[in-house]
Amino acid sequence: MSRPTVRSRVGLGLGFTAVLVFSLFPVFVMLSTAVDARANDGSRSLLPTSLTWDNFRFVLDEGGFATYLRNSLVVALSTVVISGLLALLASVAVSRFRFRFRTSVLVMVLVVQMVPLEALVIPLFIQAKNLGLLNHLFGLVVVYVAFSLPFAIWTLRGFVSAVPRELEEAAYVDGASWPRMFWSVLLPLVAPGLVATSVFSFITAWNEFVFAITFMNDQGSYTVAVGLRQFFTQYGTNWGAVMAGSTLITLPVMIFFVIVQRRLSDGLVAGAVKG
Amino acid sequence: MTATATPPRQAQPGGRHPRPRRSRRPESGGRLTPGWLPWLLQAPALVVLGGLLLYPLYRVGVLAFEDFGLRELVTGQSSWVGLANFREVLTDPLLWKVALPNTVVFAAVNVTLTVTLGTLVALLLVRLGRWARGVLTSAIMVAWAMPAVTGTYVWVFLFDARDGAVMRALGALGLIDPAATNWFTERLPFYGIATLNVVHHGFPFVAVTVLAGLMTLPKDTLEAAALDGAGAWKRFWHVTVPLLKPVFAVVTILSTIWDFKVFTQIYLMPGGSGTNRDVLNLGTWSYITAISQNRYGLGAAIAVLLTLLLLVITLVYLRTLFKQDEL
Repeated sequence: MSRPTVRSRVGLGLGFTAVLVFSLFPVFVMLSTAVDARANDGSRSLLPTSLTWDNFRFVLDEGGFATYLRNSLVVALSTVVISGLLALLASVAVSRFRFRFRTSVLVMVLVVQMVPLEALVIPLFIQAKNLGLLNHLFGLVVVYVAFSLPFAIWTLRGFVSAVPRELEEAAYVDGASWPRMFWSVLLPLVAPGLVATSVFSFITAWNEFVFAITFMNDQGSYTVAVGLRQFFTQYGTNWGAVMAGSTLITLPVMIFFVIVQRRLSDGLVAGAVKG
Repeated sequence: MTATATPPRQAQPGGRHPRPRRSRRPESGGRLTPGWLPWLLQAPALVVLGGLLLYPLYRVGVLAFEDFGLRELVTGQSSWVGLANFREVLTDPLLWKVALPNTVVFAAVNVTLTVTLGTLVALLLVRLGRWARGVLTSAIMVAWAMPAVTGTYVWVFLFDARDGAVMRALGALGLIDPAATNWFTERLPFYGIATLNVVHHGFPFVAVTVLAGLMTLPKDTLEAAALDGAGAWKRFWHVTVPLLKPVFAVVTILSTIWDFKVFTQIYLMPGGSGTNRDVLNLGTWSYITAISQNRYGLGAAIAVLLTLLLLVITLVYLRTLFKQDEL
């Protein structure tokens, strides 16, 4: 098309700057407040005048964040392992076999994704209370596995379908049984897909708030998302602590997002723009 | 977490392809894979989905017709009250004057803003050079990655009546009196701040998806339109939009579903957890009625209404999806 004029270049530059500032502003505020020695001083400016690690020290020692981080990590990693395993087996079933109700299973997987958490939290709270699962990390893991499964199955299905059938059959010809073929042929080839869905399961479990706050009312079993609330008291808010805690929560998620960024946009292209 | 139903198709099998051989068994592994194998493989997943998503969904439906309070929670017994809960919800002015408008208007405004901003950013990205595009994509990924909990706290902090940077800046300009202003107590500014939060978190998904769509557009069609004298505005509406209709449909409907059931971003704002009834939406109203006030039956009825609303939207979503993709 035509060569860019000066005016359109200026326009692009302005747009670039505006989007950049808007996107990064909250993260900047979070980080700069977390390291600001005067975070709780009403007169502070947006740029910290004196740097400190005290806010982090406070949330980790007195705020109990060391415990919450450990709880969140246990919950998130358990969710990743269990949902990855279940999703892998199920996605092989729906993409490698034709069986009755196959379409029904797929439609169900899609539909349950739309169910609002607010509708599930009431019956599951009653159930967990009856089963004595409140305040147990395991109770949260079970729920998060269920939440991350539909997306994981749906995504892995694409990866499994992409493995050529001939590879499987070659394994059979060489005398391999189905489990052997699964272990030595299918699993290594869908490993990249497993990485992507694991990251998503991790983020689902790590970020979840509604169930964490409903199921966990004993301080020893708080996850990070719940632990932040204690810095809001009726006497005021310890903003330095809130932002230091937020930083600890946000950094792992951002690192993971950068890791999956490419795969994520590729997946979106394939799913949404299929001609 | 943002979850989309979009399967990646380009998973690259790392292995070498053996010489293609004629397959006698196109449907399944053959003798070594009996018919019950697929059911064995998916049984654990189906049990979890059934037990933790479908059964609770059924339970909430039953609860909505029951008188279920703290006593019933302890004894485990409950009584059927028919449509009493729904009657109470549907005749409550709070539903029509507060919760429903807060849900529907908020979702409509946010979807419009999210899709518009996301599309504009995608159009900007596609015009940028390689380096600038990489930088900006990473920046919007950072916005996307911000968890709802921490993102909400940042926006609350910025607009905090006492310590908020925005409030102090406006006060310094003489536009407001910071000592006498609290934007969280009134509905419109409260939801204005929530809108900022939700749009900031939501536009990257739209931008990345629409950008992916823009990259697939045939260049010669756009050039032909340009040669015919169509300006950028005309090209967008007459070439880009019709070609990318499925993409816009998917991002709009997914954003609608997410914005209808927004919970954390409202609940964590000052007053959002029930102390200020003017700012309740269907999600927080249902949660607070059930979990905080122990009126599980009534809360379930509100949740059922929200679910039905979402179900209608989901049906539209499925229809759009099935038109362009085979299962």
